[in-house]
Amino acid sequence: MSLEIQNLHVRIEEREILRGLNLTVRKGETHALMGPNGSGKSTLANTIMGNPVYEVTDGKIVFNGEDLTEADPDERARAGLFMAFQYPATIPGVSVANFLRMAVNAKREEPIKVKEFGKLLGENMELLRIDRAFTSRYLNEGFSGGEKKRAEILQLAMLKPEIAVLDETDSGLDIDALRIVSDGVNALRGPEMGSLIITHYTRILDYVKPEFVHIMLDGRIVREGGPELAAELEDTGYDQIREEVAAANAG
Amino acid sequence: MPANNASDWIAERRKAALEAYEAEPVPTWRRSGFWTTSLRNLDLDALEPRRYEPVGSEAELPSEVRDALDGEPGALIVQRGASTIYTHVDAELAEQGVIVMPLEQAVEEHGELVREHYMRRLSETEGKFPAATAAFWTGGVFIHVPANVRVEKPIQSVYAIDEPGTAQYAHTLAILGENSECAIREYCLGADIDGQALHAGAFELYTAPGARAKVAHFQDWGRGEIYDISTKRVVIARDAFVSWVPVHLGGRLTKQVLDIITAEKGSDMRHTGLYFTERDEHLDLFTTDLHEAPHTAGDTVWKGALTGESRASYEGLIEIIEGARDSHTYLQTHQMLLSQRAKGDAIPSLIVKVDDVSASHGGTVGELDEDQIFYMMTRGISRIEAVRTLVEGYFEEVVQRLDDPGLETLIRRRIGEKLLAAEDQVKEFVGHRAGAAQEA
Repeated sequence: MSLEIQNLHVRIEEREILRGLNLTVRKGETHALMGPNGSGKSTLANTIMGNPVYEVTDGKIVFNGEDLTEADPDERARAGLFMAFQYPATIPGVSVANFLRMAVNAKREEPIKVKEFGKLLGENMELLRIDRAFTSRYLNEGFSGGEKKRAEILQLAMLKPEIAVLDETDSGLDIDALRIVSDGVNALRGPEMGSLIITHYTRILDYVKPEFVHIMLDGRIVREGGPELAAELEDTGYDQIREEVAAANAG
Repeated sequence: MPANNASDWIAERRKAALEAYEAEPVPTWRRSGFWTTSLRNLDLDALEPRRYEPVGSEAELPSEVRDALDGEPGALIVQRGASTIYTHVDAELAEQGVIVMPLEQAVEEHGELVREHYMRRLSETEGKFPAATAAFWTGGVFIHVPANVRVEKPIQSVYAIDEPGTAQYAHTLAILGENSECAIREYCLGADIDGQALHAGAFELYTAPGARAKVAHFQDWGRGEIYDISTKRVVIARDAFVSWVPVHLGGRLTKQVLDIITAEKGSDMRHTGLYFTERDEHLDLFTTDLHEAPHTAGDTVWKGALTGESRASYEGLIEIIEGARDSHTYLQTHQMLLSQRAKGDAIPSLIVKVDDVSASHGGTVGELDEDQIFYMMTRGISRIEAVRTLVEGYFEEVVQRLDDPGLETLIRRRIGEKLLAAEDQVKEFVGHRAGAAQEA
């Protein structure tokens, strides 16, 4: 059970953003993907989910042995992939509860029973300490940054994907919101879910401890290691790593 | 010469209207050079009023009428072609003194009341079709809710066309007494006829001070070639309130003027419109939110969506005349293009002749937002389901303003059917991101 990204090259409007990226995330593992702005982190997240804006020019995205490189986003979601958005879209006129019901039903043959759905929603809202009134609001309409991120994590909890990509879920959160979101992610971690936490900063990694850390520069993964790599990055910064990589390439 | 016949005055009005009609050419409506509503494809001479026998029960009404009606109306009056074919008024309403009857009959039986209000704010000189309606109307609808009467169940009127070659001249006059309360739904319903027909309509509603009313217009002329050229005017008196919801869901060509007038101090209104055009339909709407007195208020929202090769133009004017100080009003209009071949236009405008008022307006024309669609698809929702949800969500704000569960269900159902019919276009229409948005 794994997501394998093999030699991925991705372009947007003639500009190559990902340039031969390799990464494997297995169920039960937590990975952190770190990189400065413009390194291609969000491009990777969007390409994993099949955003049509991004063009894959080479390489593959394989999930549980199946090549999903050309699959539509909904197909990928039903296969068990999920992405928490950095900037989730607003869906006017559709309440959080109705949206969640649609999404849950999209993965099922038979629509979920009202009672069962209510129970599932109640449990997850308790887990994420979300107020009941939240679910009757239109999804993301007028939400604060923290509310949007919490709505993303609530969807993650409801949909129980095999692999979740969290795209800069920590950005724009104050410390309390960050803690709530991190607690949510930690509560959902387990042998049934793998996650790829994409972040610019090491801050979220104080709360959600990854087993694997990858550092990305200019569309490729340039360093890989364990949690100690994040600690090292904290001390040295991206510039130091960039210089090391340049030196290694020159040598 | 004193009138022998109580209705002589109306014959005079008809005569004046006929003269106006004969003096006017068939109009073509042009705006700023790029929008034209033309009747050149309508063979007016081939159309004529058609008469029908009354029916004894609701079950015998034409199917397009039965299909749209919901629940138990307090009163129901149905005009098919030129004839009123069904009138029902609950005993409870009759006891309260509520009158719902054909306007023709009201001219005879309630001459003074009708005469006092008939075409008070409409004129036979407004154009060829208002003149035609004033000259030729038959049947018609008259509604009177006496002072201090509160009607619980809706009062429903229907204009139905189910045969090609029909010319239907319709006139509704509604008078709401002081501090009365009611809900009125007027339906314009067509069968999917094979050929042309015309509905030329007038609707006028006058409230007395303190009245409160919900008024809905539901138009769905079906897939035939029904032309609708109508003028509707709602006039609100002192401290009265009207929530008016016109809904346009189908018709070969529709040209309507819809005016809501806060005419006396403290009058207040909410005006909510919705349209959905498909195939080669052509819709041309002009609304005016007219403030004639101090301390009036208005809140107007219009939303539309277009599929196929349809054309839809909405122009909304806020006008605040001199002396209408301390008035506050807002108008917004949105339009969503769901097909590459559809063309739309949404224009808010403003004429304010007095200081000390607040009036603002805004308009957008947009396409489906691919970011929203992608977002929904990453949750496992298919593209067509995402589009349907987004369009329904887009309309939800205006549908909810109806505050009428029966009608809300009908509108949601019809919009769902139209989206399903347009599924292929919607799929192929990979939007170019929410494009030409304009904020005024």
